[in-house]
Amino acid sequence: MSKVSELYHTGLIGGQPAPDDLAIQAKISHTEEGFATVWLITPAAIWLILFLVVPLVSIVIFSFWENSPQGLSPAFSLEFYGEYFYTKGFFDPDADRFLLPSVFIRTLGSTVYFTLVTMLLCLIVGYPIAYFLAMQVQAFKWQLALFLLCMVPFWTSYLIRAVAWLPMLGRRGLINQALLGLGIVDEPVSFLFYSEFGYTMALVQIYVVLGIGPMFFSLAKIDKDILEAATDMGATPFQIFREIIGPMSLPGVAIGMIFIFVMIMGEFATAVVVYGGKTSTAGTVILNYYGIANYPFAAVNALMLMLAMVIGIVVILRVVDIRKEL
Amino acid sequence: MARRTPERWRKLRVKTGFSIYYVIFLLFIYGPMFAMFVLSFQGQRGGTSFPMRGFSLYWWNKLLEPSTVGDMQGAMGRSIILALMVMVLTALFSTMLAMAFRKSFLFSNVLFYTILTGLMVPGVLLSLGMAILLRQLGLAPAWYTSGLAVHVIWALPFGYLVMMAVFNRFDSRLEEAARDMGADEWTVFKEVTFPLITPGVVAAGLFGFTLSYDEFARTTLLAGAQNTLPLDINASMTQRIRPTLFALGTASTLFSLLMISIFLGIYTILYRRSR
Amino acid sequence: MTAKNGNKKSTGALLKISRRKFMGTAAGIAAAGGITGFPNIVQAADPIRSIGLGVSIINEIQGKAAKDLGFPVRGQALGYGALFGKTLNQNDQYEVSECYFDMFDVMVPSKVFQPIDTTRIRDWDKVSNLTKTGKLTPGSQIGQGDAPFHKLWVDENGAPTKGPSRYISAVPGWHNADSLGYNPKETKRSIDSWAELFSSDFKGRVALLNVPQIGAMDAAMGVEALGLIKFGDKGDMTRKEIDVLVDFLTKKKKEGHFRAFWETFGQSVNLMVSGEVVLQSMWSPAVTAVNAEGVPCIYASPKEGMRGWHGALAISAKASGKQLDQAYEYVNWWLDGWAGAFVARQGYYMSTTANTKKSLPADEWDFWYEGKPAAKELPDPFGTPLVAKGAVRDGGSYEQRFKNIAVWNSIMSENDYLVKRWTEFLTA
Repeated sequence: MSKVSELYHTGLIGGQPAPDDLAIQAKISHTEEGFATVWLITPAAIWLILFLVVPLVSIVIFSFWENSPQGLSPAFSLEFYGEYFYTKGFFDPDADRFLLPSVFIRTLGSTVYFTLVTMLLCLIVGYPIAYFLAMQVQAFKWQLALFLLCMVPFWTSYLIRAVAWLPMLGRRGLINQALLGLGIVDEPVSFLFYSEFGYTMALVQIYVVLGIGPMFFSLAKIDKDILEAATDMGATPFQIFREIIGPMSLPGVAIGMIFIFVMIMGEFATAVVVYGGKTSTAGTVILNYYGIANYPFAAVNALMLMLAMVIGIVVILRVVDIRKEL
Repeated sequence: MARRTPERWRKLRVKTGFSIYYVIFLLFIYGPMFAMFVLSFQGQRGGTSFPMRGFSLYWWNKLLEPSTVGDMQGAMGRSIILALMVMVLTALFSTMLAMAFRKSFLFSNVLFYTILTGLMVPGVLLSLGMAILLRQLGLAPAWYTSGLAVHVIWALPFGYLVMMAVFNRFDSRLEEAARDMGADEWTVFKEVTFPLITPGVVAAGLFGFTLSYDEFARTTLLAGAQNTLPLDINASMTQRIRPTLFALGTASTLFSLLMISIFLGIYTILYRRSR
Repeated sequence: MTAKNGNKKSTGALLKISRRKFMGTAAGIAAAGGITGFPNIVQAADPIRSIGLGVSIINEIQGKAAKDLGFPVRGQALGYGALFGKTLNQNDQYEVSECYFDMFDVMVPSKVFQPIDTTRIRDWDKVSNLTKTGKLTPGSQIGQGDAPFHKLWVDENGAPTKGPSRYISAVPGWHNADSLGYNPKETKRSIDSWAELFSSDFKGRVALLNVPQIGAMDAAMGVEALGLIKFGDKGDMTRKEIDVLVDFLTKKKKEGHFRAFWETFGQSVNLMVSGEVVLQSMWSPAVTAVNAEGVPCIYASPKEGMRGWHGALAISAKASGKQLDQAYEYVNWWLDGWAGAFVARQGYYMSTTANTKKSLPADEWDFWYEGKPAAKELPDPFGTPLVAKGAVRDGGSYEQRFKNIAVWNSIMSENDYLVKRWTEFLTA
């Protein structure tokens, strides 16, 4: 048993990741082994082409169409792209909107900003949980059980949970009742709900689990014997974290952050339910135009949102190349 | 020995600290579930927010009766079946893809970003694009065909990335050793690879189940003539919302907890037997 | 069993349709135009499919229809967005769409419906003048915006006509007028003007409807009542008017005037019951629901008039043969009286008033339509007690309400601009 685990983690003592070129060489030398790549990717690739790429292409085509009272008409029009970017008076120093980006860009910007803040909070809140599950809980059985416990709220439809926010955080909600009952406040506080505070908390609450999963997996793979050995050699907990645990869990962190990033960027429902619709997100803008059947402009908004997401993901993957570290 | 004891104390302290944090965290993410739980016992004349007007099992009984708008029980059955199908396909596809990505191959980058695109396409537009294509082909949408198609697109990137995390720095020397001993590819996979990646496969499947069960936007135009649960709940919001909804939520929470306990029990028994 | 068979068969028929090379997109449907009829779609056992909101798609209603008519009616309840999208993009997925006249600016030009021949509507004469001429009674005022009679009349090809014609776009159904709901205990005075929506007395305890098209109209009523601007047509504002309106709203929002913006019926009920707001734009049955949950709530009858909306039964352009006949039967059944009585107990009115009166016990008719105090405890449609004895329906009689509709739910011609400015308002 000990032999296997030794094999499994050679090269990690001291926290040095295996050199990349060595890994690549290893990869090349193994190309003939394992199942044939073609068979592994074909089913999923066909599925992706039929049900993702083709509809996506139609969305792109839509974005160039014209929208008139008679409905959509095929065309090559950049009208809606112009609408997205251009603001009247943008270059006119006398206009009151001088150098003020269009409302769509501003909405996208605030969505990105908000997403980044929430991501950071999710990381701070979620990482210790992943660490706890992976490092402090010994038996795999309990690791899984405690992780599943975090998933349970997700098996109640989001739409139902959304209705329950108000009786939890509202003026007559459970928290306010508790605060009043304990004499902490004299009258119900209203900052908990329909506020930026409540909105941020809600987003963290809903999405943090998505990040915990991948982080837990990469942490769980760290061999505890190595940590033990490092401690015996006199490494401080901080050193162990910086040299071994941190780098080893980085891919998990990156993947978790991608999940959270994408989910919150596309978020629209929580803003309505928890923030009382008092803000717009890129998602609500798409929905508003979709709702009035202006599909070309909804498509333009969607493509810009996706562009922002791609940039975000590329940046995350630049920091941690999860594919290279395979 | 003298050095060991304070060390053990320190470890215990750390562990206790983390455990307390975990409990607080659970309270946090269960947040609105508590209000939901309490209000599911709302009196017959009460609604979905405080104050409570009496205390009854009225809304729990209502769960078993046919709903006034839509068909809650049927919709729930359809959603569970759909989620199970998505679960299996997601687990299967993401495992296969992640295994393929252990080697470099042509256009692997393109495939990588295509998979991730499923994560990024706004759901309503994917649903619209698919609906229009189906129309052109003269095919009727249904939750178990077109609904399944886009749900897998949605869940796949999650499962795939989880599997990527699992295969990350995966030691292939064990597999090689098995190959050297003359095992064929299937045997290697069955005996060596799969046991090592099981937790990941389970997690990918769970992602698939969870995401599909809760998905609304992608299903709006693709469910066909019968609603999935989220569509049904959404429709019921055009009427008065009754605490039945909370009874349903509480019931599914309790059911999930029960399933986890059963799973733990089975796991323990199997584990003992294999010893 | 039969349902399953029917489903398979219609799929087969759809495949045939596809060979006719539909352009298929939202607009393309329009080009496909006339109905030539596909004989294969006709099956005796075929159920008809009807889609709509939870307002009209209720198991009791379609169940009763199926029983009375002798063929299955499969109702599919949807949320507003899903109903709009499905009605517009998938008219091969329903025979009847129980939709709303304010959608018709989009639906009629897209030709997703087929014109309905009024000679095939048995009770056409009994349908009130509200949707035919815009005037419920000769002395009524015609509301601004997309009053249903503007959207009703079409020619045999489905193109809108100026005046009455043999063909209509859809059969008028259930309708109501919306205004403000308030908690009298908290406002401490009665509310009789839309201007109160912006009264600083209620700062931080006010909610507004967050559907740009309709919410903007509610807000416009308030701004007009304050005397800040006089709109040419609140149902079809100019860019300038939208600017004035949104600038004012933005200022109010920054002052913290609004507690929330709601989107669904249930949300508005919960906002009031939970004491989050004391005054908000609200729908009449939602006010009834708040009262039923024991929280005092009054449905205001503002002197400026209310905002009206009107449901309709439209038949898909794709329905043909026997299914078309059955769709007609179903639509006729709606006008018969039973459905009118059913929706009355929810607080909605029906276009065939006389038939509803026949089907409704006198004391219920007096309460719901005449605005008289309830002679005894009255039930909701499912038989549970809803209205206490002696209670009076706020907003007066049916006639009073609909004589004075200020504006009808509409999609404005500057709708894109409105949505853009509304986004700006919410982002502010």
